[in-house]
Amino acid sequence: MALHKLKDFHTPGNMEDVLALLGKDAETLVLSGGTFLRGLETRGLLGDVEALVDIRKAGLHTVTTDVAGLEVGATVTFAHLQTIDEVKNTPWLAGLADALAYPPAQIRNIATIGGCVAASCPFFDIPTALMALDASVRTRGPNGVRQLPLPEFFAGMFANALEPGELVTGVAIPRAPGNTAGAFLKLEGNANDLAIVNAAVRITIDAGRTCTDVRVALGGGVAESALRVPSAEKILLGSKLDAATLQAAGDAVINDIDPMSDHRASAEYRRAVSRVMTRRALERAMARLN
Amino acid sequence: MKQMMTLEVNGEAHELAVEKDATLLKVLREQMGLNGPKRGCDSGGCGCCTVQIDGKAVYSCLCYALSYDGARITTAEGLSSGAELHPLQSAFVEAGAVQCGYCTCGMMMAAKQLLDDCPHPDEEQIRQGISGNLCRCTGYAKIVDAVKLAAGR
Repeated sequence: MALHKLKDFHTPGNMEDVLALLGKDAETLVLSGGTFLRGLETRGLLGDVEALVDIRKAGLHTVTTDVAGLEVGATVTFAHLQTIDEVKNTPWLAGLADALAYPPAQIRNIATIGGCVAASCPFFDIPTALMALDASVRTRGPNGVRQLPLPEFFAGMFANALEPGELVTGVAIPRAPGNTAGAFLKLEGNANDLAIVNAAVRITIDAGRTCTDVRVALGGGVAESALRVPSAEKILLGSKLDAATLQAAGDAVINDIDPMSDHRASAEYRRAVSRVMTRRALERAMARLN
Repeated sequence: MKQMMTLEVNGEAHELAVEKDATLLKVLREQMGLNGPKRGCDSGGCGCCTVQIDGKAVYSCLCYALSYDGARITTAEGLSSGAELHPLQSAFVEAGAVQCGYCTCGMMMAAKQLLDDCPHPDEEQIRQGISGNLCRCTGYAKIVDAVKLAAGR
Protein backbone atom coordinates (compact mmCIF):
# COMPACT_ATOMS: atom_id res chain seq x y z
CA MET A 1 0.00 0.00 0.00
CA ALA A 2 1.14 3.48 -0.53
CA LEU A 3 0.09 7.09 -0.52
CA HIS A 4 -0.94 7.07 -4.17
CA LYS A 5 -2.09 10.68 -4.24
CA LEU A 6 0.68 12.19 -2.14
CA LYS A 7 2.01 15.34 -3.84
CA ASP A 8 3.79 17.17 -1.03
CA PHE A 9 5.86 16.27 1.99
CA HIS A 10 6.42 19.31 4.18
CA THR A 11 8.76 19.78 7.14
CA PRO A 12 7.89 23.32 8.30
CA GLY A 13 10.20 24.97 10.81
CA ASN A 14 7.62 26.97 12.76
CA MET A 15 3.95 26.92 13.78
CA GLU A 16 2.88 29.72 11.43
CA ASP A 17 4.02 27.65 8.46
CA VAL A 18 2.31 24.55 9.90
CA LEU A 19 -1.01 26.39 10.20
CA ALA A 20 -0.69 27.87 6.71
CA LEU A 21 -0.09 24.38 5.26
CA LEU A 22 -3.03 22.88 7.18
CA GLY A 23 -5.26 25.71 5.95
CA LYS A 24 -4.73 24.79 2.30
CA ASP A 25 -7.54 23.14 0.41
CA ALA A 26 -6.00 19.67 0.19
CA GLU A 27 -6.27 16.33 1.93
CA THR A 28 -3.55 17.14 4.43
CA LEU A 29 -2.45 15.03 7.37
CA VAL A 30 -0.26 16.02 10.28
CA LEU A 31 2.68 13.67 10.78
CA SER A 32 4.44 13.42 14.12
CA GLY A 33 6.19 10.16 15.09
CA GLY A 34 4.38 8.33 12.31
CA THR A 35 4.06 5.02 14.13
CA PHE A 36 0.26 5.08 13.92
CA LEU A 37 0.01 6.78 10.56
CA ARG A 38 2.17 4.16 8.83
CA GLY A 39 -0.13 1.50 10.24
CA LEU A 40 -3.10 3.21 8.62
CA GLU A 41 -1.19 3.48 5.35
CA THR A 42 -0.35 -0.23 5.26
CA ARG A 43 -4.06 -0.99 5.74
CA GLY A 44 -4.85 1.14 2.68
CA LEU A 45 -6.66 3.81 4.67
CA LEU A 46 -4.67 6.84 3.52
CA GLY A 47 -5.23 6.56 -0.22
CA ASP A 48 -6.69 10.09 -0.45
CA VAL A 49 -3.94 11.95 1.37
CA GLU A 50 -2.32 14.62 -0.81
CA ALA A 51 0.06 16.26 1.65
CA LEU A 52 1.91 15.28 4.81
CA VAL A 53 3.04 17.95 7.25
CA ASP A 54 5.80 16.67 9.54
CA ILE A 55 5.55 18.94 12.61
CA ARG A 56 8.68 17.72 14.41
CA LYS A 57 10.71 20.81 13.52
CA ALA A 58 7.95 23.26 14.47
CA GLY A 59 9.08 23.84 18.06
CA LEU A 60 6.66 21.52 19.88
CA HIS A 61 9.39 19.29 21.33
CA THR A 62 9.83 20.62 24.88
CA VAL A 63 8.67 19.55 28.34
CA THR A 64 8.29 22.18 31.06
CA THR A 65 7.52 21.54 34.69
CA ASP A 66 6.36 24.16 37.21
CA VAL A 67 4.02 24.53 40.17
CA ALA A 68 1.00 24.09 37.91
CA GLY A 69 2.23 20.76 36.52
CA LEU A 70 3.70 19.55 33.25
CA GLU A 71 3.40 20.98 29.77
CA VAL A 72 4.37 18.34 27.23
CA GLY A 73 4.84 19.44 23.61
CA ALA A 74 3.07 17.41 20.96
CA THR A 75 6.27 16.07 19.38
CA VAL A 76 7.91 14.99 22.64
CA THR A 77 8.77 11.31 22.27
CA PHE A 78 7.97 8.67 24.88
CA ALA A 79 11.73 8.19 25.39
CA HIS A 80 12.23 11.93 26.01
CA LEU A 81 9.38 12.06 28.52
CA GLN A 82 10.92 9.08 30.34
CA THR A 83 14.05 11.16 30.98
CA ILE A 84 12.16 13.93 32.84
CA ASP A 85 13.10 13.73 36.55
CA GLU A 86 9.58 14.23 37.80
CA VAL A 87 8.21 11.49 35.53
CA LYS A 88 10.95 9.11 36.66
CA ASN A 89 10.81 9.83 40.37
CA THR A 90 7.47 11.05 41.67
CA PRO A 91 4.60 8.79 42.78
CA TRP A 92 1.87 11.08 41.39
CA LEU A 93 3.24 10.57 37.84
CA ALA A 94 4.11 6.89 38.32
CA GLY A 95 1.15 5.75 36.20
CA LEU A 96 2.48 7.71 33.25
CA ALA A 97 5.96 6.27 33.79
CA ASP A 98 4.43 2.76 33.87
CA ALA A 99 2.64 3.32 30.57
CA LEU A 100 5.71 4.82 28.88
CA ALA A 101 7.78 1.73 29.78
CA TYR A 102 5.60 -0.83 27.95
CA PRO A 103 6.50 -0.24 24.30
CA PRO A 104 9.85 -1.44 22.90
CA ALA A 105 12.68 1.07 22.46
CA GLN A 106 12.02 1.31 18.72
CA ILE A 107 8.57 2.76 19.47
CA ARG A 108 9.58 4.84 22.51
CA ASN A 109 12.29 6.56 20.48
CA ILE A 110 9.88 7.82 17.87
CA ALA A 111 6.24 7.76 19.02
CA THR A 112 5.09 11.14 20.34
CA ILE A 113 2.66 12.25 23.01
CA GLY A 114 0.70 14.46 20.63
CA GLY A 115 0.48 11.78 17.99
CA CYS A 116 -0.70 9.19 20.43
CA VAL A 117 -3.48 11.47 21.67
CA ALA A 118 -4.49 12.74 18.22
CA ALA A 119 -4.73 9.18 16.89
CA SER A 120 -7.74 8.76 19.21
CA CYS A 121 -7.18 5.03 19.16
CA PRO A 122 -9.13 3.20 21.89
CA PHE A 123 -6.38 0.59 22.27
CA PHE A 124 -3.50 2.95 23.12
CA ASP A 125 -1.95 3.11 26.60
CA ILE A 126 -0.85 6.71 27.12
CA PRO A 127 -4.35 8.21 26.76
CA THR A 128 -5.60 6.00 29.59
CA ALA A 129 -2.66 7.06 31.78
CA LEU A 130 -3.26 10.73 30.91
CA MET A 131 -6.96 10.45 31.67
CA ALA A 132 -6.19 9.33 35.23
CA LEU A 133 -4.06 12.47 35.52
CA ASP A 134 -6.85 14.87 34.45
CA ALA A 135 -4.73 15.84 31.45
CA SER A 136 -6.04 18.14 28.78
CA VAL A 137 -5.14 18.55 25.14
CA ARG A 138 -3.84 21.87 23.82
CA THR A 139 -4.77 22.62 20.24
CA ARG A 140 -4.15 25.40 17.76
CA GLY A 141 -6.02 26.15 14.58
CA PRO A 142 -7.45 28.90 12.40
CA ASN A 143 -9.71 30.02 15.28
CA GLY A 144 -6.92 30.23 17.84
CA VAL A 145 -5.93 28.00 20.71
CA ARG A 146 -8.11 25.67 22.76
CA GLN A 147 -7.63 23.47 25.80
CA LEU A 148 -9.85 20.40 25.96
CA PRO A 149 -10.01 17.85 28.79
CA LEU A 150 -9.30 14.41 27.32
CA PRO A 151 -12.88 13.11 27.75
CA GLU A 152 -14.08 16.08 25.67
CA PHE A 153 -11.31 15.66 23.10
CA PHE A 154 -12.17 12.05 22.28
CA ALA A 155 -15.29 11.68 20.16
CA GLY A 156 -15.48 7.94 19.54
CA MET A 157 -13.29 5.42 17.80
CA PHE A 158 -10.49 7.20 15.85
CA ALA A 159 -12.50 10.43 16.14
CA ASN A 160 -11.80 13.61 18.07
CA ALA A 161 -12.85 17.21 18.50
CA LEU A 162 -10.20 18.68 16.17
CA GLU A 163 -11.64 21.02 13.57
CA PRO A 164 -10.33 21.34 10.02
CA GLY A 165 -6.93 23.01 10.02
CA GLU A 166 -6.48 22.45 13.77
CA LEU A 167 -3.77 20.32 15.37
CA VAL A 168 -2.71 19.06 18.79
CA THR A 169 0.15 21.22 20.10
CA GLY A 170 0.64 19.56 23.47
CA VAL A 171 -0.75 18.00 26.60
CA ALA A 172 -1.14 19.74 29.96
CA ILE A 173 -0.93 17.63 33.12
CA PRO A 174 -2.07 19.46 36.26
CA ARG A 175 -0.05 18.78 39.39
CA ALA A 176 -1.80 16.55 41.93
CA PRO A 177 -1.01 17.77 45.46
CA GLY A 178 -0.74 15.86 48.71
CA ASN A 179 0.04 12.22 49.32
CA THR A 180 -0.77 11.02 45.83
CA ALA A 181 0.34 8.00 43.83
CA GLY A 182 -0.62 6.53 40.49
CA ALA A 183 -0.22 3.30 38.57
CA PHE A 184 -0.90 1.87 35.14
CA LEU A 185 -1.22 -1.74 34.03
CA LYS A 186 -1.65 -3.27 30.61
CA LEU A 187 -2.87 -6.71 29.65
CA GLU A 188 -1.38 -7.65 26.29
CA GLY A 189 -1.12 -10.73 24.13
CA ASN A 190 2.58 -10.22 23.48
CA ALA A 191 5.24 -7.66 24.29
CA ASN A 192 4.61 -5.58 21.18
CA ASP A 193 0.84 -5.65 20.83
CA LEU A 194 -1.95 -3.23 21.62
CA ALA A 195 -3.76 -3.64 24.91
CA ILE A 196 -6.55 -6.10 25.50
CA VAL A 197 -7.40 -3.94 28.51
CA ASN A 198 -5.40 -1.25 30.26
CA ALA A 199 -6.08 0.48 33.58
CA ALA A 200 -4.74 3.67 35.15
CA VAL A 201 -5.46 5.03 38.61
CA ARG A 202 -4.42 7.92 40.80
CA ILE A 203 -5.11 7.94 44.54
CA THR A 204 -4.76 10.72 47.14
CA ILE A 205 -5.06 10.05 50.86
CA ASP A 206 -5.10 12.29 53.94
CA ALA A 207 -3.16 11.89 57.19
CA GLY A 208 -5.78 9.41 58.44
CA ARG A 209 -5.26 7.37 55.23
CA THR A 210 -8.76 8.11 53.99
CA CYS A 211 -9.08 8.48 50.21
CA THR A 212 -9.72 12.16 49.46
CA ASP A 213 -9.34 12.10 45.70
CA VAL A 214 -9.24 9.34 43.12
CA ARG A 215 -9.25 8.73 39.39
CA VAL A 216 -9.86 5.42 37.67
CA ALA A 217 -9.54 5.17 33.90
CA LEU A 218 -9.75 2.21 31.55
CA GLY A 219 -8.82 1.69 27.92
CA GLY A 220 -7.89 -0.98 25.41
CA GLY A 221 -11.20 -1.64 23.77
CA VAL A 222 -13.42 -1.27 26.84
CA ALA A 223 -15.28 1.44 24.91
CA GLU A 224 -14.81 3.54 21.77
CA SER A 225 -12.17 5.55 23.62
CA ALA A 226 -10.35 5.44 26.94
CA LEU A 227 -12.72 6.56 29.67
CA ARG A 228 -13.10 7.52 33.32
CA VAL A 229 -14.91 5.04 35.53
CA PRO A 230 -17.03 7.01 38.02
CA SER A 231 -18.72 3.90 39.48
CA ALA A 232 -15.37 2.75 40.84
CA GLU A 233 -14.27 6.23 41.91
CA LYS A 234 -17.44 6.70 44.01
CA ILE A 235 -16.75 3.51 45.96
CA LEU A 236 -13.14 4.48 46.65
CA LEU A 237 -13.68 8.13 47.59
CA GLY A 238 -13.95 8.56 51.36
CA SER A 239 -13.00 4.95 52.03
CA LYS A 240 -9.98 3.55 53.85
CA LEU A 241 -9.00 1.64 50.70
CA ASP A 242 -9.11 -1.76 52.39
CA ALA A 243 -8.99 -4.93 50.31
CA ALA A 244 -12.78 -5.35 50.20
CA THR A 245 -13.21 -1.78 48.93
CA LEU A 246 -10.62 -2.26 46.19
CA GLN A 247 -12.37 -5.46 45.14
CA ALA A 248 -15.76 -3.70 45.10
CA ALA A 249 -14.33 -0.84 43.05
CA GLY A 250 -12.89 -3.31 40.56
CA ASP A 251 -16.19 -5.12 40.29
CA ALA A 252 -18.04 -1.84 39.73
CA VAL A 253 -16.16 -0.91 36.55
CA ILE A 254 -18.46 -3.05 34.44
CA ASN A 255 -21.21 -0.46 35.03
CA ASP A 256 -19.34 2.15 33.01
CA ILE A 257 -17.73 0.21 30.18
CA ASP A 258 -19.06 -1.19 26.94
CA PRO A 259 -16.29 -3.47 25.67
CA MET A 260 -15.88 -4.56 22.07
CA SER A 261 -15.09 -7.96 20.63
CA ASP A 262 -12.23 -8.26 18.17
CA HIS A 263 -9.40 -10.62 17.23
CA ARG A 264 -7.62 -9.81 20.51
CA ALA A 265 -10.43 -10.64 22.91
CA SER A 266 -14.16 -10.97 23.31
CA ALA A 267 -16.24 -8.33 25.04
CA GLU A 268 -16.98 -10.83 27.78
CA TYR A 269 -13.27 -11.44 28.41
CA ARG A 270 -12.52 -7.70 28.42
CA ARG A 271 -15.33 -7.19 30.95
CA ALA A 272 -13.91 -9.90 33.20
CA VAL A 273 -10.29 -8.75 33.08
CA SER A 274 -11.22 -5.05 33.47
CA ARG A 275 -12.26 -5.84 37.03
CA VAL A 276 -9.00 -7.59 37.80
CA MET A 277 -6.78 -5.01 36.09
CA THR A 278 -8.48 -2.17 37.97
CA ARG A 279 -8.00 -3.84 41.34
CA ARG A 280 -4.36 -4.64 40.59
CA ALA A 281 -3.67 -1.08 39.41
CA LEU A 282 -5.20 0.23 42.66
CA GLU A 283 -3.00 -2.11 44.69
CA ARG A 284 0.06 -1.02 42.73
CA ALA A 285 -0.69 2.67 43.34
CA MET A 286 -1.36 2.10 47.05
CA ALA A 287 2.04 0.50 47.46
CA ARG A 288 3.54 3.76 46.20
CA LEU A 289 1.77 6.07 48.67
CA ASN A 290 3.87 7.59 51.43
CA MET B 1 7.76 13.35 -8.10
CA LYS B 2 10.92 12.65 -6.15
CA GLN B 3 12.48 14.97 -3.60
CA MET B 4 16.17 15.40 -2.82
CA MET B 5 17.58 14.60 0.61
CA THR B 6 20.86 13.72 2.27
CA LEU B 7 21.61 10.87 4.65
CA GLU B 8 24.77 9.77 6.38
CA VAL B 9 24.57 6.00 6.23
CA ASN B 10 27.16 3.90 8.07
CA GLY B 11 29.56 6.82 8.04
CA GLU B 12 29.17 7.76 4.37
CA ALA B 13 27.32 10.83 3.11
CA HIS B 14 24.73 10.25 0.40
CA GLU B 15 22.54 12.53 -1.66
CA LEU B 16 19.38 10.80 -2.77
CA ALA B 17 16.23 11.46 -4.77
CA VAL B 18 13.42 9.67 -2.92
CA GLU B 19 9.72 9.14 -3.48
CA LYS B 20 7.69 11.31 -1.12
CA ASP B 21 5.98 8.34 0.51
CA ALA B 22 9.11 6.16 0.68
CA THR B 23 9.97 4.71 4.05
CA LEU B 24 13.51 4.83 5.32
CA LEU B 25 13.49 1.02 5.03
CA LYS B 26 12.63 1.20 1.34
CA VAL B 27 15.36 3.76 0.64
CA LEU B 28 17.96 1.72 2.49
CA ARG B 29 17.06 -1.55 0.80
CA GLU B 30 15.99 -0.56 -2.69
CA GLN B 31 18.04 2.56 -3.36
CA MET B 32 21.15 1.83 -1.35
CA GLY B 33 21.23 -1.96 -1.58
CA LEU B 34 21.51 -2.45 2.17
CA ASN B 35 19.73 -5.71 2.93
CA GLY B 36 20.51 -5.85 6.65
CA PRO B 37 17.21 -4.21 7.56
CA LYS B 38 14.44 -6.58 6.44
CA ARG B 39 10.90 -5.88 5.32
CA GLY B 40 8.87 -8.17 7.57
CA CYS B 41 5.52 -6.97 8.82
CA ASP B 42 6.11 -3.46 7.40
CA SER B 43 4.01 -2.02 10.21
CA GLY B 44 6.16 -1.86 13.33
CA GLY B 45 5.32 -5.23 14.78
CA CYS B 46 8.32 -7.49 14.19
CA GLY B 47 11.54 -5.48 14.51
CA CYS B 48 13.55 -6.96 11.65
CA CYS B 49 13.81 -3.50 10.02
CA THR B 50 15.49 -1.98 13.10
CA VAL B 51 18.21 0.60 12.39
CA GLN B 52 19.59 3.50 14.39
CA ILE B 53 18.73 7.09 13.53
CA ASP B 54 21.13 9.50 15.24
CA GLY B 55 22.07 6.72 17.66
CA LYS B 56 18.53 5.64 18.56
CA ALA B 57 16.95 2.34 17.50
CA VAL B 58 13.81 2.73 15.40
CA TYR B 59 11.64 0.64 13.11
CA SER B 60 12.75 1.94 9.72
CA CYS B 61 9.48 0.68 8.20
CA LEU B 62 7.60 3.29 10.27
CA CYS B 63 9.76 6.22 9.20
CA TYR B 64 9.09 8.33 6.15
CA ALA B 65 12.54 8.95 4.68
CA LEU B 66 11.92 12.65 4.06
CA SER B 67 11.41 13.24 7.78
CA TYR B 68 15.06 12.40 8.33
CA ASP B 69 16.86 14.68 5.90
CA GLY B 70 20.44 15.04 7.14
CA ALA B 71 20.18 12.25 9.72
CA ARG B 72 22.88 9.75 10.62
CA ILE B 73 21.76 6.16 10.01
CA THR B 74 23.44 2.98 11.19
CA THR B 75 22.35 -0.39 9.82
CA ALA B 76 23.70 -3.82 10.71
CA GLU B 77 26.15 -3.39 7.83
CA GLY B 78 27.66 -0.49 9.76
CA LEU B 79 28.45 -2.52 12.88
CA SER B 80 31.71 -4.07 11.71
CA SER B 81 34.81 -2.07 10.96
CA GLY B 82 36.27 -3.59 7.83
CA ALA B 83 36.82 -7.30 8.31
CA GLU B 84 36.65 -6.98 12.08
CA LEU B 85 33.28 -8.00 13.47
CA HIS B 86 31.47 -5.93 16.10
CA PRO B 87 31.34 -7.72 19.49
CA LEU B 88 27.62 -8.29 18.96
CA GLN B 89 28.23 -9.94 15.61
CA SER B 90 30.94 -12.28 16.89
CA ALA B 91 28.83 -13.08 19.96
CA PHE B 92 25.82 -13.99 17.77
CA VAL B 93 28.07 -16.32 15.76
CA GLU B 94 29.68 -17.93 18.80
CA ALA B 95 26.43 -18.38 20.73
CA GLY B 96 24.70 -19.93 17.71
CA ALA B 97 22.08 -17.18 17.93
CA VAL B 98 21.34 -17.28 14.20
CA GLN B 99 18.89 -19.82 12.85
CA CYS B 100 17.13 -18.68 9.68
CA GLY B 101 18.81 -15.29 10.09
CA TYR B 102 15.81 -13.17 9.19
CA CYS B 103 15.56 -11.40 12.55
CA THR B 104 19.31 -11.28 13.22
CA CYS B 105 20.20 -7.83 11.88
CA GLY B 106 17.24 -6.26 13.67
CA MET B 107 18.04 -8.15 16.87
CA MET B 108 21.62 -6.90 16.82
CA MET B 109 20.51 -3.31 16.24
CA ALA B 110 18.03 -3.55 19.15
CA ALA B 111 20.75 -5.12 21.30
CA LYS B 112 23.12 -2.33 20.32
CA GLN B 113 20.66 0.25 21.66
CA LEU B 114 20.35 -1.77 24.86
CA LEU B 115 24.12 -2.03 25.36
CA ASP B 116 24.60 1.67 24.49
CA ASP B 117 22.13 2.57 27.27
CA CYS B 118 22.95 -0.19 29.71
CA PRO B 119 26.37 -1.83 29.15
CA HIS B 120 25.85 -4.63 31.68
CA PRO B 121 22.22 -5.72 31.47
CA ASP B 122 20.78 -8.65 33.44
CA GLU B 123 18.68 -11.27 31.68
CA GLU B 124 15.41 -9.45 32.35
CA GLN B 125 16.83 -6.23 30.88
CA ILE B 126 18.05 -8.14 27.82
CA ARG B 127 14.63 -9.68 27.29
CA GLN B 128 13.05 -6.22 27.65
CA GLY B 129 15.64 -4.80 25.26
CA ILE B 130 14.71 -7.22 22.49
CA SER B 131 10.97 -7.22 23.26
CA GLY B 132 10.29 -5.29 20.06
CA ASN B 133 11.90 -7.97 17.90
CA LEU B 134 10.29 -11.19 16.81
CA CYS B 135 12.39 -14.31 16.14
CA ARG B 136 10.30 -16.46 13.84
CA CYS B 137 12.39 -19.53 14.77
CA THR B 138 11.69 -18.75 18.47
CA GLY B 139 15.42 -18.99 19.16
CA TYR B 140 15.37 -16.46 21.96
CA ALA B 141 17.49 -18.37 24.50
CA LYS B 142 20.60 -18.26 22.34
CA ILE B 143 19.94 -14.65 21.33
CA VAL B 144 19.85 -13.72 25.01
CA ASP B 145 23.08 -15.71 25.51
CA ALA B 146 24.69 -13.80 22.63
CA VAL B 147 23.76 -10.40 24.08
CA LYS B 148 25.15 -11.48 27.46
CA LEU B 149 28.35 -12.59 25.77
CA ALA B 150 28.67 -9.33 23.86
CA ALA B 151 28.04 -7.30 27.03
CA GLY B 152 31.02 -8.99 28.65
CA ARG B 153 33.39 -7.89 25.88
